[in-house]
Amino acid sequence: MPEIFNASKEEIKMEGHVGGVKGHHSRKLSEDPLQLKKSLQISIQKEIPEPYHNAVSAFNYYPHKVHFVGADKQEKIVLLLRRHPITNLPWIFMAFVMVLAPLLMSFVTGVDFVPVSYQIIFLLSWYLITMAYVTEKFLSWFFNVNILTDERIFDVDFVNLIYREITDANIDQIQDVTVQVGGVIRTMFNYGDVIIQTAAEIPQIDFKAVPKPDVVAQILRELKVEEEAERLEGKVR
Amino acid sequence: MNLDNLGFFTSVSEPIWLMVEAFTMIGLFLYVIFAAVVLRQVNHMTTTLEVGFEGAIKTVAWLHLIFAIGTLVIAILIL
Repeated sequence: MPEIFNASKEEIKMEGHVGGVKGHHSRKLSEDPLQLKKSLQISIQKEIPEPYHNAVSAFNYYPHKVHFVGADKQEKIVLLLRRHPITNLPWIFMAFVMVLAPLLMSFVTGVDFVPVSYQIIFLLSWYLITMAYVTEKFLSWFFNVNILTDERIFDVDFVNLIYREITDANIDQIQDVTVQVGGVIRTMFNYGDVIIQTAAEIPQIDFKAVPKPDVVAQILRELKVEEEAERLEGKVR
Repeated sequence: MNLDNLGFFTSVSEPIWLMVEAFTMIGLFLYVIFAAVVLRQVNHMTTTLEVGFEGAIKTVAWLHLIFAIGTLVIAILIL
């Protein structure tokens, strides 16, 4: 704690890895915490898009209708992230094949020896399984979210239809943020992994295949600095 | 159920179809339970995370359960 107060007049460096390369981000902290906070807000507004909320979007900045269990009343949700929509293409393709499969099967193989009543039930069962597959995949995408508030980061993992896991860490416990964008598709569609090393009980939280990973890392760093500024102001919740 | 009326004893014997029928019924019954678990899980998840899309997701989960029950009922009636 004393280092933070002593450092208020000096240049503070935050180490980070951006795009797989270790870099240094320098910021001159003002003596006045309020001025610092104002300057941070201006810098965030310059680099980050306008507040945006869509229930099925993968990148929601300051979403207004989001509420989750465990959030404090004063806590503001800054980001709600999901995997990039392009990651859904494989299962959408698979679902399409599953929908068409009975039709193709009737052309390829003869099923005349199976009674009509059984054919109907097998067809209904097949579409039931297809529906379960699509529902499971969509819910897995929809509920696998990463939430970034002004106080904490949350990683909600909806592993399957009967298992889920929620991990959280305080913003001031963030030690290092790494952005990984590799491969043609990820580069083309601008999505990747944001790996956050923390000093919390769970040492690492991964935001996987999130859109605009550089912007996410930037917001994380800004929030961390803002949190430090709040601590200087004595506004720690 | 009179299997002779179905006219399918061209290549498969009666005991095999009875087994298929039994497995189909058990499978569909288990599927109805699974669909109910999915509905419960969806309700739980929409409580955990509210984003303003809960109505549509719950509707899909309910449709899934209704579809599963409907298939089981149809199987009981026509097999």
